[in-house]
Amino acid sequence: MSSQPVSVKGSGGAGGAPLRMLWPFALALAVAAFMHFVVGPNFNGTVVQVLLFAGINITLAVSLTMVNGFTGQFSIGHAGFMAVGGYVAGGLVYYLSARFFDSPQIAFHGGILSAGADYRPDPDHPLPLLSRGDLIMIGSCLAGGLVAAGAGYVVGLPTLRLRGDYLAIVTLGFGEIVRVIFQGTGPQVLFTKAQEMRDTPLHQLAWKLGGAQGFNFIPIYATLFWVFLLASITVAAALRLKYSSPGRAMISIREDEVAAQAMGVNVTRYKVRAFVLASFFAGLAGALAALSIGQMNASAYGFIKSFDFIIMIVLGGMGSISGAVLAATVLTILPEALRQFDSYRMIAYALLLIIIMILRPQGLFGIREVWELGPVRRLLARAGRGGSAA
Amino acid sequence: MSLLSITDLSISFGGLKAVSGFNLELAQGRLQGLIGPNGAGKTTCFNLLTGVYAPTSGTIRLAGRTLNGLRPHQIAAAGLARTFQNIRLFPELTVLDNVRIGCHLRTRSTMAGALLRSPFHVREERAMVERCRGLLEVLNLADRADEQARNLPYGDQRRLEIARALATQPKVLLLDEPAAGMNTQEKKELRGLIRQILRDFGLTILLIEHDMGLVMDICEFITVLDHGVTISAGTPAHVQNDPKVVEAYLGAPAGAEEVA
Amino acid sequence: MSSFLQTLIDGVTVGGLYALIALGYTMVYGILKFINFAHSDIFTLGAWMTLTIAGWLGVQAGGGATGPAAWYVGVGVLVLTMVFVGVVGFVIERLAYRPLRQAPKLNVLITAIGVSLFLQNFGQLKFIFGTDPAPTPLLLPGVTLFSVGGVSIQLVDVAVIGTSLVLMLGMEVLIFRTRMGSAMRAVSFSTRNASLMGINVDKVISFTFVIGAMLAAAAGFLYTLKYPGQLKQTADGMWVMLGLKAFVAAVVGGIGNVRGAVLGGLLIGLIEYLSVAYLKSEYRDAYVFAILILVLLFRPEGILGRATVEKV
Ligand SMILES: Nc1ncnc2c1ncn2[C@@H]1O[C@H](COP(=O)(O)OP(=O)(O)OP(=O)(O)O)[C@@H](O)[C@H]1O
Ligand SMILES: [Mg+2]
Repeated sequence: MSSQPVSVKGSGGAGGAPLRMLWPFALALAVAAFMHFVVGPNFNGTVVQVLLFAGINITLAVSLTMVNGFTGQFSIGHAGFMAVGGYVAGGLVYYLSARFFDSPQIAFHGGILSAGADYRPDPDHPLPLLSRGDLIMIGSCLAGGLVAAGAGYVVGLPTLRLRGDYLAIVTLGFGEIVRVIFQGTGPQVLFTKAQEMRDTPLHQLAWKLGGAQGFNFIPIYATLFWVFLLASITVAAALRLKYSSPGRAMISIREDEVAAQAMGVNVTRYKVRAFVLASFFAGLAGALAALSIGQMNASAYGFIKSFDFIIMIVLGGMGSISGAVLAATVLTILPEALRQFDSYRMIAYALLLIIIMILRPQGLFGIREVWELGPVRRLLARAGRGGSAA
Repeated sequence: MSLLSITDLSISFGGLKAVSGFNLELAQGRLQGLIGPNGAGKTTCFNLLTGVYAPTSGTIRLAGRTLNGLRPHQIAAAGLARTFQNIRLFPELTVLDNVRIGCHLRTRSTMAGALLRSPFHVREERAMVERCRGLLEVLNLADRADEQARNLPYGDQRRLEIARALATQPKVLLLDEPAAGMNTQEKKELRGLIRQILRDFGLTILLIEHDMGLVMDICEFITVLDHGVTISAGTPAHVQNDPKVVEAYLGAPAGAEEVA
Repeated sequence: MSSFLQTLIDGVTVGGLYALIALGYTMVYGILKFINFAHSDIFTLGAWMTLTIAGWLGVQAGGGATGPAAWYVGVGVLVLTMVFVGVVGFVIERLAYRPLRQAPKLNVLITAIGVSLFLQNFGQLKFIFGTDPAPTPLLLPGVTLFSVGGVSIQLVDVAVIGTSLVLMLGMEVLIFRTRMGSAMRAVSFSTRNASLMGINVDKVISFTFVIGAMLAAAAGFLYTLKYPGQLKQTADGMWVMLGLKAFVAAVVGGIGNVRGAVLGGLLIGLIEYLSVAYLKSEYRDAYVFAILILVLLFRPEGILGRATVEKV
């Protein structure tokens, strides 16, 4: 038999192609706008803050699913990539704002989409939908994501030959190295010294990230809009990946690496790709995290933070995107609701991990999505029949 | 000229010479058998051919191309596919997905295409599903397409391994004990199935099997290994009457009882 | 020159601690082929139990009014700590790891992470050790034994190195000269074959965990001697870092290899202290991990380990 590719016929509904290609992104915009304009204004600051964290955590859990769930490499340094994205984006927004907005204040220069929940429209000075500050912010976030992806490549490529548990330790080591490096950076140039900030070349500012004191006064741009836009896009990307040939190639590695290779899957390539993609999204999420709390401190991005995301995806089921979303949401909101039991939270998580591994090692949903589970499927089928009968 | 040609293939693990000086010529369209008592080195041969282990010496050529030093996925791309003796399916995935992963090798759409659902990607995925369903049809697994592979009965799993290997569009198919664990009825069907795919897919097959009835029936040529060394090679009739083969199976103090 | 010698002594002392912890990693890995992620927390527990038990025996923090404790009190604290932590190791293996004997390695690793988080956070509860650092007991007087070339040899260093040595020799004897030791080696070679030979595998595994935990406890005890002052809370990242360095030591020496663990421990201790003394000291943790990555890339089986091929 010849080795020609799977034959692809020229026909096929090409008319609907743009719609089919782009609808998830339109949906992501709609979700983001809904969160920003409808949900946000109806809740107080604390609730909005929790929702912001939920969106960021969803992004992190889903991106980690691409590595730990799809290719089955066990990374426990995810917070490291988050930190990279956060420092890069935070640093860029802070120092670039100083350059572009000729004012001693680094403060916020965004439009309506970046205006916090407490923003009340002022008819005399209407905010544009997007302003120059937003462009700086978006560019900085993308830069954060890309640098994190680069870090993912640098860590990923040499270490992916390692067996699962070794890889875990190396990623953990990577996360710690990242932390140590950021803690070793020079002192932040404060906005009170506008002149110094303008006189220092950018590449020197790049290392003035606050060191052990942390990097503060980052303008706050991350709103429910941006956070949920990112979260929705991450979820859409993960789902599309999972249900496509490259995604299945990734999952085959987790299922049985030897068999995957024998079936022609380039294991190294897909491991690296999963790692880079996951790092990219983690970097973006880290960027938004920095822009939502206004500061970065490397000590908050150690392995303890990485474990948060591990717990989320283990609970949701490694490889299940809807599971990761659910678990990330619940595990973000629940601790807020149960604040008074905070000292027991991690103990409960720890026991949860152990018990899940013993009783339901595949997590809540295993690799499957909510709508693929037996009961849900039957329900959907019944609803479908009912709908067509009506 | 033969399609697959193996010369002087050897490997040792520590002090153990698992395979030494293995030679084999396999012409297009042939079905050859590889037999030998337990631990003879048959599976190790397959592992060498598919790049799982690197040989200590020897060359492997497929359609004139040297495969030595290639990584397993490159060997699969070159046209060598296999099944595993100790079944290695993708257990959590559905039967259809298992076969689709076999197709992956021959797909062209990129990761970006997949994320954007480009028209080419969508068409390719559709064509892939069609082809996979066809393969499942051939292997009598069509009605199991949406079940998880790990829930299949043993015989079905073995056939799914064959379907998955066929999906890579191989030139040569290596079957490692495809009948192991099957009942008599299933074995009978398997016999027909192997003949069918050999013919319909224009394949060339190298078969490891302990079921002598099956091997003697469908193979035109058989190579016998013992302790990594080729002790006999020829037609089924020749091999069956070779005293060295009889001794390897019956005379050897170890392994004799397993064959019985 | 004298500062170089001082660095060497510190490196060897800490290397001894790493070696004791690394032995636990390496033995469990040798037998169960998994990284006992919670091992560093066992070490932490050892340090905190040293403090707690010393308190029960009336040794006051920092010496108090009574001054350093008598030598036999120190030995008593060491023994009690080892026994207590050994029991904890036994219980953990029984409850958390044994149910997963047949499970994929990744599941066991996740469980170990769970155990680790549990120990860290349970220790932080108000009625356990609390969330505040606590002062270490004064179990040894801060005596300088003698001085060579401007370097003063402290009693502490001798005690730490001496105790480590005794324990390591004990391990050597245990593993290579006793029945239990040969059973352990058999199980680590092949669990299945060992059980076919009539070895009670579960018992051997339990025993291995207990021994590993006791060695880590001893390391915790010695840590409080070497670094008197404030003991960090159990969830402090510094504990995990220490444990990880010991793990790196086990890998560098060749994981699964008992002598390799000792060699690796000393090497890592020396490298850490030399790099801190002569390179940028803020990056001390980074150096050790850089070594880990280099070893894994160029000699993944470690210095004394054997390369293995996965059977297909
Ligand atoms: N990775 C390995 N490391 C060490 N020894 C190995 C390895 N792989 C195979 N062997 C040894 O090589 C010899 C040949 O094994 P192989 O699996 O090829 O036998 P086989 O002919 O397929 O036997 P069976 O009929 O039982 O499947 C055996 O002694 C086996 O233990
Ligand atoms: Mg075999």
